[in-house]
Amino acid sequence: MHIPDGFLDPVTAGVTYLVSIAYAVYAFRRLRAEKGRVELVTPLAAGIFAAQMLNWPLPGGTSLHFVGGALSGILLGPWLGFLPMFLVLLVQCLLFHDGGITALGANLLNMAIIDVLIGYAVYKLAPQRYKVFGAFLGGWLGITLAGLACGVEIGVSSQLPYGLAVTVPVMAGWHAALGVVEGAITSAVVSYISRRAPHLVEGGGREAA
Amino acid sequence: MKLRKAYLVVALLLAASPLFLVLSDMVGYHEPLDLAAELLGLKDASEEVNWTPFFDYTVPGLPPALGYVVAGAVGTALVVILSKVLQRMVK
Repeated sequence: MHIPDGFLDPVTAGVTYLVSIAYAVYAFRRLRAEKGRVELVTPLAAGIFAAQMLNWPLPGGTSLHFVGGALSGILLGPWLGFLPMFLVLLVQCLLFHDGGITALGANLLNMAIIDVLIGYAVYKLAPQRYKVFGAFLGGWLGITLAGLACGVEIGVSSQLPYGLAVTVPVMAGWHAALGVVEGAITSAVVSYISRRAPHLVEGGGREAA
Repeated sequence: MKLRKAYLVVALLLAASPLFLVLSDMVGYHEPLDLAAELLGLKDASEEVNWTPFFDYTVPGLPPALGYVVAGAVGTALVVILSKVLQRMVK
């Protein structure tokens, strides 16, 4: 889902940069308020970075990797959850050119904002006895809507007519299918952490500071 | 839960990553974004304007599988360092 250089026109790239910068500024300001949980950012960011390196092969010639935005949102909340994804996407862009520098704003918007917010919101809204399913649903919906947003960004920035008619179904459809794996991994990790250290799960009921 | 255990999991994931590189190469790695780009005729400009030291998780001079692990370790280390710097800024 990492949009490379050359896919976005300057307007789309600029608008997505502005949205991501505004969110980042607010998230960084919230850091002091959530001081006690900041130490969790490092292991989670390292874990998501490493997990994204595992490309799972699928029948039919497609591969996927875990994204982790919903997991980050569920564990750290909507603001602090932005940070691990920000660090991962920044390093991937600047060190490995995985995601273009002109598309960093869009990639942050999709994976560090939309995926994080959706994952957090769905998990938070899930009834206590269905939290594991809530984590699955959050992971699935987060990646599906992030894929849809990615499709919109590429579709509107393309110079070709009917770009949206191609990109939105392809991106949303594929990510809705592949998102089942994202949901399953998110659910498994959240379930494990909820049993071993429930205080680490932000979306489990405790409000963000 | 000890955070040390989390870092052990990270190390295990990195150690296993070359296996997934080989497996995904066998099926021809491409993501949904590649499919959409192909349908629209969009061109990835990354290789033409690359400035990154480890393009596409490769390390110059190393075989792809070993380079992938080294790139992963370097990337993880940088993520950890940046995160620690960020935390110091907050304190």
